[in-house]
Amino acid sequence: MGPVELLHMSVFSQSFSPCGRFLAAGNNYGEIALFSLAAALSPDATTANQKPVLTFTAHEGPVFSLLSTDSVLLSAGNGEVSAWNWTELIKKNVKPLWTKRPNYKSSLEIPEINSMAINPRDDSLAIGAGDNNVHILDLEHGAFKVTLRGHTDYVHCVCVREREAELLSGSEDGAVRMWDCRTGQSVHCIEVHKYESCARPQHGKWISCLTTDSDWMLCGGGPSLSLWHLRSLSPTSVFPLSGCQRRAAFHQDMILAVGDGAFVSHCLLGGEVKGQIPCTPPSLNTLQLNTKSSEHRVLTVGGGSSKIDVFTNLSYRAFSLSF
Amino acid sequence: MGAVTDDEVIRKRLLIDGDGAGDDRRINLLLKSFTKWCNSPGSPEEGFTQYQRMLGTLAQCEFSMGKTLMVYDMNLREMENYEKIYSNIEQNITSAHDKIAECKKEIQRAKRIRKNRQEYDALAKIIQQHPDRHETLKQLEALDKELQHLSHIKENVDAKLELRKKQFHVLLTTIQELQQTLENDEKSDNDDQSQESPAQNGE
Repeated sequence: MGPVELLHMSVFSQSFSPCGRFLAAGNNYGEIALFSLAAALSPDATTANQKPVLTFTAHEGPVFSLLSTDSVLLSAGNGEVSAWNWTELIKKNVKPLWTKRPNYKSSLEIPEINSMAINPRDDSLAIGAGDNNVHILDLEHGAFKVTLRGHTDYVHCVCVREREAELLSGSEDGAVRMWDCRTGQSVHCIEVHKYESCARPQHGKWISCLTTDSDWMLCGGGPSLSLWHLRSLSPTSVFPLSGCQRRAAFHQDMILAVGDGAFVSHCLLGGEVKGQIPCTPPSLNTLQLNTKSSEHRVLTVGGGSSKIDVFTNLSYRAFSLSF
Repeated sequence: MGAVTDDEVIRKRLLIDGDGAGDDRRINLLLKSFTKWCNSPGSPEEGFTQYQRMLGTLAQCEFSMGKTLMVYDMNLREMENYEKIYSNIEQNITSAHDKIAECKKEIQRAKRIRKNRQEYDALAKIIQQHPDRHETLKQLEALDKELQHLSHIKENVDAKLELRKKQFHVLLTTIQELQQTLENDEKSDNDDQSQESPAQNGE
């Protein structure tokens, strides 16, 4: 990896291992790097501990999405999904368990997979793809169950609304659609850019950031980041963040959002921005909280640089891992 | 204590107290002067002064021994004191740990409460934007009443229309019948007249 390549590297996705001791990160060259958090967070860590313990090329295209189940790391790149066993990866064995490709109608170009989400109820994987559809893959049987059609432009992000067994998807066409997991029909369609309080016509109408905790939903992108109450389908608060947000998460009583701008924004549910914590990449693409481990509870963010910032205390950046 | 060997004790004492700087030398000197005094053939005054001097030295030795004993006592008591302080501090540390755990739980609870309050506020903001339920109900009632009133009026007007229609119908039929009767009468009159005149002409 020469210095020019490192300069042009962007980190698009991250995922923590089920034990919480490793972090997998995917970049725009199709590589996945495994970092040992236990080594990097130990009191006698050196700069060598901030380098990956394993780097391998997973796909031919950028790895836009990474997801971990109890034993498997799922990675999406170049229009296909590959599964890697975590214990094998920790032993540095880089053979994928399986690789699957959803059946795209057009054979001219390969649509990219932008986002994946797991529905724990029926053990299925929702894949938001560039062919404007959401494909549902049954992880037990390994077959594609349903294709949710309805969007008119590529799907940026998907997330699962656990309590009601619904899937939410946000797309470039500005609509957030809610799908019923069993029937595969679109239950609701919210066009965020049509609401005056959220719309920002200077940025566009695309939705790149979607997250939910069953009652509330955060969505943003072209329109401002806004908090929606799902029962009444109405926007309750709009956050005055200047850039376009790419990822957001609910954390305790706060909302963490990353996107344009070299900082992590902490916001309160009422709509005020509590603070913006600076970090190294000039713009951020991915944000992950390690909720699975109790001793390595960190927040990691990655973006338009080969460095991944690690926050042990949410108020400041502790150190950076580098590819 | 048994681990400290005699060698070490001797080495330490030699290091600190070289050639017996003070006590040991004094005891040796005392012994030497005592034997010299016992065997001295000197005058009784000299013997007496020497005797006094020996008593003095003896007193000094006793004094220094007493001092050492007291220092030893003091050390023991200091040790006890430090042990007490040490256990006290340990207790404080454990209780502080417990308090920290409690506070952490409190903070989690407080954060949850704050989140709930903020969600409530957000929903309340939206609800405020919608009009009051009582007002809307009142408006609905008023509209209902108006609707009823108007339909009542409509019924009345309809009934009147029907009545007038029937009355006009009756009137018109009566007029037509009268017209018919009058025409019939005229026709029968003309017939009668034309019958009478040929009868008159015939006569």
